[in-house]
Amino acid sequence: MTAVQLSGAGRRRGWRFRGRAWREAVSFYGFIAPWLIGFVLLSVVPLVFGLGISLTNYDGLNLDSVRFLGLQNYARALHDAEALFGISRTAVFTALYVPLALTFALFLAGLLNQDVRGRGAFRTLFYLPYVIPIGAAAWVWRLVADGNYGLLNALLHLLRPGTAVQWLANYATQVLVVFVVWTSVGGAMVILLAGLQGIPKELREAALIDGATPLRTFFAITVPLLTPVLFFQLVMNLIGALQTMVAPMLLIPQPMGFNVLPPQDNRLYMTFVYFEIFTKARFGYGTALLWILFLLVLALTLVVFATSRFWVHYEVE
Amino acid sequence: MGVGGLGALGVGLAACAQPTPTAAPQAEPTKASAATQVPPTAKPAAGGTVVFMHQRNEWSEDQEKQFMAANPAIKVEFIQFDATRFMAMNAAGNPPDLFRLQGPEVPDYLARKILKNLQPFFDISTVLKADDLAPSNNYYKWDGKTIGKGDLYGMCKDWSPDFTLFANKKAFAEANVPVPADDKPLTYQEIAQLASKLTKKEGDRTLRWGFGYHGDWIDRTMMNMLAETGKSLFADDFSRLAISDNPEAVKVARYWFDLAKANVVANPLNPSPQWAGDDFTKGLLGVVQYGYWFSAMAESDVTKDNVVMLPAPTWAGVRRDPTMTATGMAMTAKAKNPEAAWVLFEWYNGGQPAIDRAKSGWGVPALKSQYKLMPAETPFQKQCQKVLQGELQYASDALQFNPFIKADVVITAWNKYLEQALRGKMTFEEMLKSVEKETNDAIKEGISRLG
Repeated sequence: MTAVQLSGAGRRRGWRFRGRAWREAVSFYGFIAPWLIGFVLLSVVPLVFGLGISLTNYDGLNLDSVRFLGLQNYARALHDAEALFGISRTAVFTALYVPLALTFALFLAGLLNQDVRGRGAFRTLFYLPYVIPIGAAAWVWRLVADGNYGLLNALLHLLRPGTAVQWLANYATQVLVVFVVWTSVGGAMVILLAGLQGIPKELREAALIDGATPLRTFFAITVPLLTPVLFFQLVMNLIGALQTMVAPMLLIPQPMGFNVLPPQDNRLYMTFVYFEIFTKARFGYGTALLWILFLLVLALTLVVFATSRFWVHYEVE
Repeated sequence: MGVGGLGALGVGLAACAQPTPTAAPQAEPTKASAATQVPPTAKPAAGGTVVFMHQRNEWSEDQEKQFMAANPAIKVEFIQFDATRFMAMNAAGNPPDLFRLQGPEVPDYLARKILKNLQPFFDISTVLKADDLAPSNNYYKWDGKTIGKGDLYGMCKDWSPDFTLFANKKAFAEANVPVPADDKPLTYQEIAQLASKLTKKEGDRTLRWGFGYHGDWIDRTMMNMLAETGKSLFADDFSRLAISDNPEAVKVARYWFDLAKANVVANPLNPSPQWAGDDFTKGLLGVVQYGYWFSAMAESDVTKDNVVMLPAPTWAGVRRDPTMTATGMAMTAKAKNPEAAWVLFEWYNGGQPAIDRAKSGWGVPALKSQYKLMPAETPFQKQCQKVLQGELQYASDALQFNPFIKADVVITAWNKYLEQALRGKMTFEEMLKSVEKETNDAIKEGISRLG
């Protein structure tokens, strides 16, 4: 009898528990449903569709002439000199951009973490390039860097009349790196600033009392505690750099169009993909190239994640 | 459609603007023509929504309101033309009813069965009559085998003999060079000499280029130059780009390469950030090569009273001055509301918008009956009309476009390898081989896809 009663009470508790769990599950899925539906419709479905297209000769206009090619597009990419050149230029760009952007963002965040007058104004000022539409920013840069009528050469002209350095044509990658750092550093700076402000003052003060120099404090206290934020920034910058397409297109020194490519040094992988798809109507091949990029990004991200246990220090471990 | 059919389609472009084009051999009519044909009706019952993909600067909101006021049963859903969006809409099976296109794109769209046969509509139209259509409309004719013959699949909104020149008299005066006569064509060789004399520099800085042209269309210019000698950039069946084994084509390509290398035109190593029209109106060009349409904007505050229009130059002494764009409008094969779309098509191409365009001077009207509306009030407009009337007699021959590739493929390859050749990373001959290889790969794919 007792056993039966106990069993009944247990069942009631079980029902109550299951009822609460059910309600929690419904709430959970209800709240994430908008994102989940958007993710499935706008990311998963296009990804699968893209994977399907990458196995065909689809030309973007009609489906009548589509043929299944299997992995031919992928095999072709591995032997395509232009694709490989695009990868090499993207590697150069990434190798220059990522360290520069991280260092500069950390430097600015460090500066703006000081207790100085007008700190708010400086923070706004340094953040501003990040919120300027990239098209407008590029337009201004083109005006500044134009070979014959640019502001930069006009200043140089004062020192040496007749100067016409073709910045956008002959120093294309350097200008691109500086431009992308300039437009992106504001976002990284804000996140690093938040990270800096999350580091307890007491730790730095204790180190200083123990006789550590500010430089030693920075590398022994600040940087290790900031590594989770730096790690996040590193991953995001790497992914962004490998996918760079818009900036080199906007910095083309000639009028833009479907048939004007960036200068050779700025023909990054994604610009190559763009012209394959939209100039040559190679949608199938283009999506295969995009899938290859996705795999490269994934592999690189996993490598960075694998190294993180050696240099990223979490407060709770 | 077979490869032969498409080749014939391209071959037919040669006869694009001729009244009696030669039918191409070994070509079979395709089913596309019949499949996209609209049964003629005495009076189409028009109503509903028309999805219209065009450019807002060529279809104003006022015109849209006027049209809808005159046709209250029709609602126009305007979409700004965007090539990517157009592709996406087609791929989704939901294309616009009417859209903007250029003559060189017609063979490609026909091959892909995207255009609707509008002949039944033209047959009963009292506004757009066959004998009133300017020759440039032949770019939109196709009989299933040959461009330039057969049914109409669209029409141009306006056009120009596109190889004429505009000279900045101020630049000539500064360089102490006499302005060429406007009743005798220059040769391309003379233009090269002028380009050199008119280019103005200060140290490394270019203050004025001697000559300018539309970079997007340089392949079309080469095609027109070669046509003077009876040659083409492509093999007869359009199966390949044939420059390096064609001495005349090599000479033409060398001409443009040498101009760039001499730095007397904007080029990849000394580029202009704006199109040649802007350069000209800002006084940064001595001579620019554009069609009659450019006369509407050639005189700016900087160039006013200092511009003169000149006839199209010749390469081998044969006068040719066809249009190279024939920008117009077509209806998609999958248009949801063809009857209502035709009402809009007819109004745009024969109604008030066409009259307004003719009066604006932004091109030669697509209807011969509207030629008289072109402006001829100012001395410059009168001078342009004089040159234009002389050029119209050489404007009926058309260019031959390759139906297997998109119109941008050749020029993109040219732009790409020109930079490398100018930097000395490859020779001129290697540059030509590279352009050929890249284009021929695309042609091969096109043949395999459409064949």
